[in-house]
Amino acid sequence: MTRYIIRRLVQAIPMMFLVSIVLFVLVHVTPGGPLTGLAGQRRIRPEKAAQLKRQFGLDQPITVQYLVWLVGNDWMKVDADGDGIKESYGTRTGILRGDFGISFKTRNPALVEITRRLPNTIYLMSITLLVVAIVAIPIGIISAIKQYSFFDIFVTTASFMGQAIPEFWLGLILILVFFAWLNNPITGEPLFPPGGMKTLGADFSLWDRVHHLILPVTMGMVGWVAWYSRFLRSSMLDVIHQDYIRTARAKGVAERTVQFKHALKNAAIPLVTILALDLPYIFSGSLYVEILFSWPGMGRLYYNSAVGRDYPILLAILIISAGLMILSNLLADIAYGILDPRIRYE
Amino acid sequence: MINKKKFGMLALVVVTILLLSSLVSCGPAATEEPTVEPGPIEPAPTEAPPEPEEPEPEEETSIVILLPDDPPNFNGNLIFSGYDRIAQEMVLLSLAELDPEGNAYPELAAELPTEENGGVVIDEDAWTMDVTWKLRDDVYWEDGEPVTADDVTFTWNAAMDPETGIWTPGADYTDSIEVIDDYTFVIHYNSVYPAYLYQMSMAHGFTVWPEHYCDAEQGYSYWDCHMDPLANGPYLLEEWEHGDHLTFVRNPNYFEEGKPYIDKVYFQIVPEESVQKTMMAEGVADVNFWAREDFALELDELEFIDVSPSPVTRWLMQLWINLTARGAADPVGSPHPVFGDVRVRQAMRIAIDVDSIVQGIYPSGDFHNVWTQFFRPPYNICDTPKPVVDPEAAEALLTEAGWTDTDGDGVRECHGCATGAPEGYPMAFDFIVWSEGGEDYVRTGQLIAEYLQAIGMDPSLRLETGAVLWDLDGLELTGNFDMNMWDDGYPGTDPSDYLWVYYASSAVPTAELEGWNIMYWMNEEFDALLDESYTVDEEYRKELFCQMDEIMQAEMPTIPLYDYAELTIYNNRIEGIRSTVNAMVNWNIADWKIVK
Repeated sequence: MTRYIIRRLVQAIPMMFLVSIVLFVLVHVTPGGPLTGLAGQRRIRPEKAAQLKRQFGLDQPITVQYLVWLVGNDWMKVDADGDGIKESYGTRTGILRGDFGISFKTRNPALVEITRRLPNTIYLMSITLLVVAIVAIPIGIISAIKQYSFFDIFVTTASFMGQAIPEFWLGLILILVFFAWLNNPITGEPLFPPGGMKTLGADFSLWDRVHHLILPVTMGMVGWVAWYSRFLRSSMLDVIHQDYIRTARAKGVAERTVQFKHALKNAAIPLVTILALDLPYIFSGSLYVEILFSWPGMGRLYYNSAVGRDYPILLAILIISAGLMILSNLLADIAYGILDPRIRYE
Repeated sequence: MINKKKFGMLALVVVTILLLSSLVSCGPAATEEPTVEPGPIEPAPTEAPPEPEEPEPEEETSIVILLPDDPPNFNGNLIFSGYDRIAQEMVLLSLAELDPEGNAYPELAAELPTEENGGVVIDEDAWTMDVTWKLRDDVYWEDGEPVTADDVTFTWNAAMDPETGIWTPGADYTDSIEVIDDYTFVIHYNSVYPAYLYQMSMAHGFTVWPEHYCDAEQGYSYWDCHMDPLANGPYLLEEWEHGDHLTFVRNPNYFEEGKPYIDKVYFQIVPEESVQKTMMAEGVADVNFWAREDFALELDELEFIDVSPSPVTRWLMQLWINLTARGAADPVGSPHPVFGDVRVRQAMRIAIDVDSIVQGIYPSGDFHNVWTQFFRPPYNICDTPKPVVDPEAAEALLTEAGWTDTDGDGVRECHGCATGAPEGYPMAFDFIVWSEGGEDYVRTGQLIAEYLQAIGMDPSLRLETGAVLWDLDGLELTGNFDMNMWDDGYPGTDPSDYLWVYYASSAVPTAELEGWNIMYWMNEEFDALLDESYTVDEEYRKELFCQMDEIMQAEMPTIPLYDYAELTIYNNRIEGIRSTVNAMVNWNIADWKIVK
């Protein structure tokens, strides 16, 4: 297994290299540029544009820009003041040495911007995923065990609705109902806040944090619960009809043991794979939830940097996401091997 | 068979990671440590004899201002997001500011320099100008250091650094700044610069930064102090939770005694407009600036909500017309096949019923039909007649210009037109609307397209983002457009630089990027008048601008449509809010009071 992991990690290096080229080119050939996309501003004064272009390194050919992004420019002389003379060494060290560049918008290192938002996204998304797992797994199991029962039909209908409801619309309805319409009967205040991570100016309180989490988690989980529960139901139904389950029952094994020990463990293997593949969402966040519930996470950072053509942040998020996707694939394979002893990675 | 131990371990690890990650963000908000001690100018507490009955401490007052996005930093001179400027306005002061009507008033300055008080000296022979500024001696940074002339020169020099600085209005006219004493300095201009009063103002996001606090080595665009500023303004930054909110507390050492009145101001980041509206309607937010027209009208119905429109407008919606063939950069040798003839542009002007557009789309009355560039005081004195909408006259003009519809498809073709277009060339062109302008822009664009179709033109309406339109390699600077629609305007009262950038012959797009005359409109008479207008003699400038207006009316390089006020929705428990187009809505936040 160790050799397999090492081999996969080594294979990931050329893959990441290729991905980096594709991402860099795609981001740069997208119509528009960062000098006028900053926060949707109107046209920029030409004098300012020329200066910014030089400061951002956009006056260089795209191949040079890629090279600088990858390995930095501290080994080559640059024209920092625009007088046409390359008089000093650059200050960039490149992504291979952990320098993802300076945000065009805030003039802070891209990594600083990401680390400001990342904990908030991990906080929201990991809790959402946890709740999804807690809700979806029992629903999927019961639906499969009680196939065609009222519960199964109800859950199936609800699942289709959950998958069909537009996430953004659902969020707006949640805000309308639980913030604008329904009030707490004791305090008279809205039942739930319309967004944010905590009450402004209030001291830390766990309940306050939970209170702010309920609506965004609800909005984020609906589609996922529907998808996971349907998936687990199908997987369980496949397993339940296998010969070894029939054998276990014929041998007189208790039904609960058959369902949970023999059926669920095997049915859960594909679900674990899907869960592992969904792990990068914990990094990238959910854009609609973050916009509607004013959640300061990675989704909004990504969206704003894409709209504003803030290349350093955009590329940092994309390349880290690509790396995480490769890693989560590896993780899924490893989990598969751990859960199913028949699989051998030799 | 599944290894039970391994399964259990895996599940345990996953759950632990999830819980730990949750706890990382669950901790109390990280409050930025104050980097400086409170200023010494605060009077030392004196021991008072104990009162038998202490009065009830006054309840802390606070308000919530909604922002759609985080400020990038506190230096609004770097990029124009508006959110940086509203944050900057809270904590930093400029030399002078503009009120909503466009009148300058001193802030850090003790008085406004004028020719009358000897602050402005013009060398008539060399046509240069020296402006002497005197600073107030009672303004302090939050660490107690006084704000001095050295801070002003430090800021200007940092901004002008070619490596880490940024171009700012007035830069081309400023030779140097000379410090006379701690509170006096002189700006030497290489030309007469009419907008000198608000060169260093929030109109351009220019405030003075502390020399002893900001790191000159890091440079103006990159220094840390623009993320954690040392205040000299009405408020101090207490906390900035990026993407969520900013908290400001009143500056106890603010130079205006007793001000500001409100103890705490929160900027809450709420990206979605409909959520902003709901929060205003529910009374959990107090101020929503740059509000949408329909939201403002709707919320204004509520008893506790008022709307403040800016008394003076700034933004002028226009049709930007390419007078040269796509990419040709030569309006004389290669005129645009449709718009190269002025009669076509004049026909469009009288075919578009701007009044109907304004009344139909913008019922608030804060949008107005505008047909001249000189619609703002004090230069709104030209007696330019309002164009009369007359589609029949427009059609006659097009026919006279050699555009007729001979094949009966509703679109005119060139039959002897003066633009050099080939015989039979249809009157078809791209009509691009700035997409970030929103729904109202699109509706305006659709109506204009209909008016033009009615006189036999064939505009293809489409939307493009600002990044596509205005990038250095974008559609406009490369000349790859026919007619676009977006708005722009200038802060303050001096239109000279604005006119130069858009209409001077020397401002056509070149490799050196000197201007934004994307129409490639060139008129020597206009250029000469514009050069003359760089004077501080206001009466003479009025005369010049009216002459320029006559030329623009005749040539129609752009077609002005309408201007509009900026709208601020606010909870009327607050008094003192006045929208402005010359700064951000919180330009006078020190005067805001909670009255209910």
